[in-house]
Amino acid sequence: MSNASPEQDGGARERLQRWLPKLVLSPSCVLVLFFVYGFIAWTSYISFSDSGMMPDYTWVGLHQWSRLWTSWTWGIALHNIWVFGLLYIISCIVLGLILAILLDQRIRAEGVLRTIYLYPMALSFIVTGTAWQWFLNPGLGLEKTMHDLGWQSFSFNWLIDSNMAIYTVVIAAVWQATGFVMAMFLAGLRGIDGEMIKAAQIDGAPAWKIYARIIIPQLRPVFLSAVVVLAHLAIKSFDLIVAMTGGGPGNATAVPATFMYSYAFSRNEMGIAAASAVFMLAVIAALIIPYLYSELREPRS
Amino acid sequence: MSFLHINNVHKRFGETHVLKGIDIAIEQGDFLVLVGPSGCGKSTLLNMIAGLDSISEGELLLDGRCINDVHPSRRDIAMVFQSYALYPSMTVAGNIGFGLEMRKVPRKQRREAIDRVAKLLQIENLLDRKPGQLSGGQRQRVAMGRALVRDPQLFLFDEPLSNLDAKLRVDMRTEIKQLHQRLGTTIVYVTHDQIEAMTLASRIAVMRGGELQQLGTPQAVYDDPNNLFVAGFMGSPSMNLVKARIVEQDGLPVAQVATEASTLTLPIVRDRDALRDWRDRDVILGLRPEAITDPASANHREGNIHEAELPVALVEPTGADLYVVTTLGGTHVNARMRPGTPLRPGERTRFAFDVSRMVVFDPESERRIRDERVAEATPIGETA
Repeated sequence: MSNASPEQDGGARERLQRWLPKLVLSPSCVLVLFFVYGFIAWTSYISFSDSGMMPDYTWVGLHQWSRLWTSWTWGIALHNIWVFGLLYIISCIVLGLILAILLDQRIRAEGVLRTIYLYPMALSFIVTGTAWQWFLNPGLGLEKTMHDLGWQSFSFNWLIDSNMAIYTVVIAAVWQATGFVMAMFLAGLRGIDGEMIKAAQIDGAPAWKIYARIIIPQLRPVFLSAVVVLAHLAIKSFDLIVAMTGGGPGNATAVPATFMYSYAFSRNEMGIAAASAVFMLAVIAALIIPYLYSELREPRS
Repeated sequence: MSFLHINNVHKRFGETHVLKGIDIAIEQGDFLVLVGPSGCGKSTLLNMIAGLDSISEGELLLDGRCINDVHPSRRDIAMVFQSYALYPSMTVAGNIGFGLEMRKVPRKQRREAIDRVAKLLQIENLLDRKPGQLSGGQRQRVAMGRALVRDPQLFLFDEPLSNLDAKLRVDMRTEIKQLHQRLGTTIVYVTHDQIEAMTLASRIAVMRGGELQQLGTPQAVYDDPNNLFVAGFMGSPSMNLVKARIVEQDGLPVAQVATEASTLTLPIVRDRDALRDWRDRDVILGLRPEAITDPASANHREGNIHEAELPVALVEPTGADLYVVTTLGGTHVNARMRPGTPLRPGERTRFAFDVSRMVVFDPESERRIRDERVAEATPIGETA
């Protein structure tokens, strides 16, 4: 106590001031601890238990985990998430960067265009999924329109082709996230010192070299942020796939999230579902934690 | 034909007229400093010379060639920017060599040129570092290296020292001056700092509001200002500007200045013919602080000294000098006296005015009242 002779009243107020923030914050803190971290712990435990339709707390060690990794559907889900994730991240970054560079040419109506490209992000995945399902449905959307317009030989049936269905999901997801990635890159481009570009012009660099050698290397933090944001969106992607393909045709567009859902709620295999959920959490944590660590540490250095 | 000729150059951004007809000509090896308060158009003019801003009207000639529509990279110029504008993803060597690389200079020659410049600027040990690992002064050197390596016809500097701390700024100023003397390059340099302008320039162009106020050698601009703005802008502490009245005495014009108690009469030596027409009219007198001093320090040999006893309002010792403030014509006037002169506020002391250095301005137009003659530096840009 630094205060040598605290008045009774002043001391109480001071104590209240010290404790008030903690008192106000504690309920939400408790709720988060219980509902987020508590249930993470609970799910982790379930993945080592003999749970089926209902939780069963009998410890069975790695039994559920080995069933998960020998499951054929899980293999498809992992394969799909790789294909989906890679294409999604790469397409979003490439398209987002191109759009951002084009928008950064001091064009007219930039504000309008920026908003148009950003709008898909305002939609929920369910809406995106449903809209694209209608649009790509051969009997309803693009194909039928082309047929009605007289182009009878036009065919675009990826949505119902089990080899191609995953790519339709990629298209919808890229459509939704590209504008957001573009906004990130645009912010990055705006942060670049204009004098540097003038200097490069005087140095005689053509525009594409200015981008390739000077501007894009400086966007490295934006690339990192974009990859992390998109990667965890990809792994979490569930509603888009449910709305668009429902994981089908067959298991053709199953991903870990839909796998987890179907095992937990329709196949009554809560143990395997928990194991897959914990696995996804681990992958996301492996992506996010180093990223957050480096981001939060940066201001000090 | 001069080396760089800025011929009646205008710049308009939509409705705003940023540069209103600038005429400047300099010779090869000149160090031209464009100086003026912010917003005077000096940086715009520099960007136009660089080719980074278009020219709305007028002509820009470099070594006899019109470069109005020549791309910046083909003008044979190099520029040092205020923010240094180093490429953060490249090493120092990469930064210095980038211009040569873009001009497809072979690797070996490039390396030699980089080493030569690095040696000149004493940054050999920094060549493998990234700009982020350098101090402000080192970045400044790299930025200059990037300009020097290409050996261009014309160097442009855009406030290159304004991001450095005060001490480093003085050091770098000296170094830039030494480089200019050693290499004999032609430089156009923009600054808002009049001391930088005075110390570096072989020619100063004082600008205000998109107009050239005066072009001349530093000494001419300092001693013989074209108008009140130039008089007040150049010099620190600035020129004393005092209200006065011209009257005739024994057939000659003299200036009468109100002091606290009486009237001080100063004879007029300069521009006497022009001032005859100003009889019984108000003017503004300009006197540098060093032209008002104590009688013992006054330059009796070259100057034309007129002494008067005046009260001391304030004493400001700077160590090297003692600035003594008195009141003339209702304003405070700075006099530079010998340090150690025992003076206290309220006392009276003798002030020695060197009237041969006194200049007179028209209070209405703010222009200098001067005799018709061919000045050593032709004053141009005096548009109404």
